[in-house]
Amino acid sequence: MTARTDAPTSYALERVTRLFPGVRAVDDVSMHVRTGEIHGVIGRNGAGKSVLVSMIAGVIPPTSGRIVIGGQAITAANATPTRAHDLGVSLIPQEPKFARNLSVIDNVFMGRQPTGRFGLVQRRRMADRVDALLTEFSLPVDPHQRVRDLSIENQQLLAFGKALRIEKARVVLLDEITASLTRERRQMLLELLKRLARGADPISFTLISHHIAEVLEFCDRVTVMRDGRAVATLDTVDTTAEDLAAWIVGDAPAARAADATPPSPLRKGAPVLQVEGLARAPAFSGLDLDLHQGEVVGFAGLEGSGKDAALETLFGLQPASAGTIRIDGRPVALTSPRQAMHLGVALLPKHREAQAVIQNRSVEENTLLSSYRRFLTAIGVIRGRRASAAAAEYTRALQVKAPSLQTMIDHLSGGNKQKVMVNRLAMTTPKLVLLNEPTRGVDLSVKPDLLRVVRTRMAAHAAVIMISESEDELIAICDRIFIFFKGRVVHVLRRGASDFTVGDVFREIQGVSAR
Amino acid sequence: MSGKLYGFLILVLERHLIWALLVCLILIGLMVPGFFSVRNFVNVMWAAAPLGCMVLGLFFVLLTGGLDLSLESTFALASTVAIVWVLQWMPDLIWPGFAVIAVPLIGLLVGLINGLFSVRLGVNAFLVTLATLLIMRGIVIYLIPEGVYYMPDEIIFLGSERLFGVLPISVIVWLALYAIAFVIVNYHKLGKDIFALGNNEEAAYIAGVDIARTKITCFAIAGFVAAIGGLLEVGRLQSAVADLGEGDILMVFAGTILGGTALTGGVGRIGGVFAAVLVIAIIENLMNLFGVEPSIRQIVFGFILLGAIYLASLQGKLRIRAEEPA
Repeated sequence: MTARTDAPTSYALERVTRLFPGVRAVDDVSMHVRTGEIHGVIGRNGAGKSVLVSMIAGVIPPTSGRIVIGGQAITAANATPTRAHDLGVSLIPQEPKFARNLSVIDNVFMGRQPTGRFGLVQRRRMADRVDALLTEFSLPVDPHQRVRDLSIENQQLLAFGKALRIEKARVVLLDEITASLTRERRQMLLELLKRLARGADPISFTLISHHIAEVLEFCDRVTVMRDGRAVATLDTVDTTAEDLAAWIVGDAPAARAADATPPSPLRKGAPVLQVEGLARAPAFSGLDLDLHQGEVVGFAGLEGSGKDAALETLFGLQPASAGTIRIDGRPVALTSPRQAMHLGVALLPKHREAQAVIQNRSVEENTLLSSYRRFLTAIGVIRGRRASAAAAEYTRALQVKAPSLQTMIDHLSGGNKQKVMVNRLAMTTPKLVLLNEPTRGVDLSVKPDLLRVVRTRMAAHAAVIMISESEDELIAICDRIFIFFKGRVVHVLRRGASDFTVGDVFREIQGVSAR
Repeated sequence: MSGKLYGFLILVLERHLIWALLVCLILIGLMVPGFFSVRNFVNVMWAAAPLGCMVLGLFFVLLTGGLDLSLESTFALASTVAIVWVLQWMPDLIWPGFAVIAVPLIGLLVGLINGLFSVRLGVNAFLVTLATLLIMRGIVIYLIPEGVYYMPDEIIFLGSERLFGVLPISVIVWLALYAIAFVIVNYHKLGKDIFALGNNEEAAYIAGVDIARTKITCFAIAGFVAAIGGLLEVGRLQSAVADLGEGDILMVFAGTILGGTALTGGVGRIGGVFAAVLVIAIIENLMNLFGVEPSIRQIVFGFILLGAIYLASLQGKLRIRAEEPA
């Protein structure tokens, strides 16, 4: 399935670098993609994949270097999404941007409807072209259906079809498009990609992914990103999953962040949480877990592996379909966050702005929101001074950088907002703390602080379960790491064992372990 | 301009524009004979109290991101039912003053029903309260088609009497309600929950706020204070008529929004809506004093309101500009 090596270049990156304050997000990357090729870009989170792709699409201008497409160059001086689009680049994001309340037809032709006399839109012609498009991409949808009623995978396919057939894209960038696809759909998409790539149109596909198996299955060649650099470009026919994993992980220093916190299991007393056979169909099943105060357990896995669903079920956000949960030995049925909090469970949700921050309100209110109950008089009036003093104490302890407690939270940086959210949890004095990507969207300098807080302050009084997309973080602070793969825990890595390394966690998550 | 003065101006413009508007109106009023007198001020406040109560009710509901069109009907229904109950259904059986206790409780019940329908059953609050608006007005018309023009003092004293012969009790009730509301909004757990869910419902839910109960409570509070407003109006007019408060809901919305309450929920201050009620009352008062023809009064009022709302909308824009670092 290798593309002809003599095929003309579809696009090329020449010594492209992109700097952000304090970070070389993309560092001197050169690569070239041939016409008729399906090219993979793979790497761990933060390796620079999405910045790279955003530069090709003209969304982020490069700091230096140039991107050459069909003899034209995109440089720092002239990069715009429009220019990239005019050169034939089309980016299919994970969540395509459609006007959700308009029909499929209207979305496909938005802004470029074929018009006849008097500027009237030719509905018939539009309908015919959309019908052809839907058939070609095997989309089982009605052209008059509203886009909001389409599943996310159908929306992706529609965006893909629109890019190819309506916009006549020549350089198609697919961002994690297969993450939500079913098995059959993936197969269909793969065949479609291959057919299109070998077709008459001079076209190339670039697939951004962090699934090793998928890249090997789909792509002709793959470029591996690590710490902002393109470390290798490999022919997939000559590459095994283990090889690729090794390239991706590289000589990752084993738990460098660990020196901040020498973790030792602080197991104390009886188990806080006992889970047996917990399931929520179809997201995950068969979860068994015993957790003591002082322990930090990591949940690791790819998107859709069931790790998020498991965490949400432990907080009562989603009902369990089977299994038992015991807290302090007593069986509980978790039905709402409120009730979970009464039982001593606290959750730091994944999407901070959407699920945690109360915008337009002060740092103090955001800190106290879950624990006002502790400061009430008989008629529910808040003992303001006591509450403020407590909030101030927590704020100082985590060194939240805010001019005052009365500052609107909206003025804080991501990292400081996250500290406020962590304080909100801590103030409820939970027995069990659930953290979903506590360092997501947090400035690099704050990450170690936050991890130290989790390991020392939180684990001192509670049992902690943490999800992280960074294997380094998990290795740095967890005692055990549960690997989720396709809805089941396939392996548990323990601190002290020989396989408790970043590389092993990465391989286990990908399902390419040597075992 | 000196930095301090500039800072003060920005503060006024971005947070207290409505107060600046109020001061302007009073300055205009100073040029009008008869405006600047204790008697006139008392009359302005007296007339404003009933509207002020309804505005307060809507303020609570808007903060949760909901809305209640039926407040003007609750305003009429609570007093009507209580009066008919005391005077017709059980005359001489119940002490007429009982009506004063019954009115707010009827309002509370109506608000609770609105809340239960829109929150528990998940029906759009606009439609639920539009329906109850019609139903309640219908009941009022059925019960007192001709109106009630004689009422014992026990029922009307709240709206008609003056303390020490000067200050109407009605105004005291109004101010007291705003004072209690101020405490609830700023220093009570309920207030914190309201603002949390008004700004980010999902986050509030995950943080353990009881979303449904908080929203329903706000509907109940709205019914409660609107009913009290109705009682004050009945006392002031010393009669109850079938079209009591009819059409007022638009003015209630105008006042609440003019006072800086966001229709999207989560943003608003008691002080702002209080000032907005005064602004509306003074505009009406000034038109009286200017002797604006009754036939064109509505036109003039509409234009003034348009201007005022435009000015108040500048507030939001100014805030955005002030937050953007230069």
